[in-house]
Amino acid sequence: MTTAPLTAEHGVGAASAAPTPAARTSGLRKVYGRTVAVDGIDLTVPEGAVLGMLGPNGSGKTTTIRMLLGLTAPSAGAVELFGRPMPDSAAEVLPFVGALVEGPGFHPFLSGRDNLLRCAMAEPLLPARAGARELRAAVDDALERVGLAHAATRRYRGYSLGMKQRLGLAAALLVPRRMVVLDEPTNGLDPAGTREVRQVIAQLHAAGTTVVVSSHLLSEIEATCTHVAVMNRGSLVAQGELADLLDGGTPTLDVVTPDREAGLDALRAAGITARAEVGGLLVELTGTDAPTAVATLVRAGVAVHEARRQRTGLEELFARLTEDER
Amino acid sequence: MTTTADHAAAPLAGPVPRTSTLRLVRSELRWVLRRPRTLVALGLLLLVPVAMGVTLVLSSTPAGGSGRGGPPLLGAVIGNGLVLPIAALSITMMLLMPLVVSMSAADALAGEAAHGTLRGLLLAPVGRVRLVLVKAVGVLTVAALAAGAVAVGGWVTGVALIGGDGLVTLSGTTLPLGTATLRVALAAAWVAAQMAAVGAVALAVSAATDHPLVVMAAIMAGLILFTVLGGLSALDWLHPVLLTDGWLSLADMLRDPLPTDNLVTGLLRAGCYALIGLSLAIARTTTREG
Repeated sequence: MTTAPLTAEHGVGAASAAPTPAARTSGLRKVYGRTVAVDGIDLTVPEGAVLGMLGPNGSGKTTTIRMLLGLTAPSAGAVELFGRPMPDSAAEVLPFVGALVEGPGFHPFLSGRDNLLRCAMAEPLLPARAGARELRAAVDDALERVGLAHAATRRYRGYSLGMKQRLGLAAALLVPRRMVVLDEPTNGLDPAGTREVRQVIAQLHAAGTTVVVSSHLLSEIEATCTHVAVMNRGSLVAQGELADLLDGGTPTLDVVTPDREAGLDALRAAGITARAEVGGLLVELTGTDAPTAVATLVRAGVAVHEARRQRTGLEELFARLTEDER
Repeated sequence: MTTTADHAAAPLAGPVPRTSTLRLVRSELRWVLRRPRTLVALGLLLLVPVAMGVTLVLSSTPAGGSGRGGPPLLGAVIGNGLVLPIAALSITMMLLMPLVVSMSAADALAGEAAHGTLRGLLLAPVGRVRLVLVKAVGVLTVAALAAGAVAVGGWVTGVALIGGDGLVTLSGTTLPLGTATLRVALAAAWVAAQMAAVGAVALAVSAATDHPLVVMAAIMAGLILFTVLGGLSALDWLHPVLLTDGWLSLADMLRDPLPTDNLVTGLLRAGCYALIGLSLAIARTTTREG
């Protein structure tokens, strides 16, 4: 078993203490010809979490997701969904899993509603004796949820990229799920669409549904996820709770003060590293903590209007994790 | 983090939810029959015997009947309308009908994969074996409709435009309208079975590629190759395994009494092809990337 080399080991430990995770992979590896797409992935998705998979293009996010869903057989390693091996248990597990993988896939000659109706007819959770009306109700419900009700009868051929993406999302939401997997769900969406996807994810999270969402948009992950897995070149370089990963970087304190010179002098006298910036000071919290730094400033008579602990942006973390390999 | 009571969906315990096969077949047929190209192809097939009938009526010479240089059986149609559907079947089954059937088989798996819709079906999930069987029902339906369209188009045109008192067989006897119509239906069913065999092989190719065009090209190339091989007398030993080899025996439908030997052999041969094609399609689909 390989461990994540960077900051995130504690995340793995915490997850393994919990009951059966929604998804777990061990030593997952996929080789296409001589290309190693994914290597040694030990991913744990706790039940009820919103896990963001982050990584540059070609880092193996989609391949990992495809193996999670049993679309691709792993070259080595194992996948479990709700404690059951995949792809062997696909028939038992997949009815409870909704997914949008590698973009939306629909038939251009059918309307959005007819495309979804076709999906609904294949959906095991819509009971065999469900009449046409029940199927249609589920379809209209899903269309409403993604804001496509007005375009339901238009042919898929005429949909914009964003509308296609929404329809793909609707297919994943046709029935209540225990887990929803969304591969780059905001691709091609306008700001309003992006906000709606965030709302959908928040609703799913509130209902207790486990969500796995991949994205290369860091702000997206930071806004919606409770857990993060960062991938690079087919390896999992970090995973854990978002808050833990964010605290992993060099912590700093943002101090708003008009007395910058006096403040710098006082901090330097106390052996605390700091530098002046517009409107205040940026204090590095290595070897000290926030209360000590603030106390030092106040004792020196420096007016402190506001002091905010600055978390390392996920962007910085992401850059740090991947830049040395470029 | 969350309690199980919060879960939107039911827990995994209990019986595995399964989509009803009937609903899947209904959905597949609706999809096949609403696809514009299926409808256009079937419509054009229906027009083939109509065009043949009209041409024959317009160009028939009083002394006709020799069918000089024309397709087989066509000469026999003159003044004998009920031969038209069988002549039309024997002409379209060589290339046109296989084209339509392989197109539908190409759409069934390769086309769905190209649109990204196959993934949706696999994730629903529709089991992979069941998926191929449902798709096979769709292709079989197109094969039956294709043969039916030509037979119906031919029957109507033959009776309305050419007429004739029953069917004058190649053996010289005359069958009454009812029996002759039964013969036409039998011929259409036999052709549909041959097309089902083509469709099964096409489905196997379809399971192995993401490009629908490859399926149609492979089937066309295969048919042409079979026809060439079938024409080489040096390869006599090979002929019994060629699907196309028995296709000319469709003309037996016009004999009285009906000689069944070649027709039954052709049916068995088609059955073998269908079985092999379907097995290959299932084998390939169970391992394919979704």
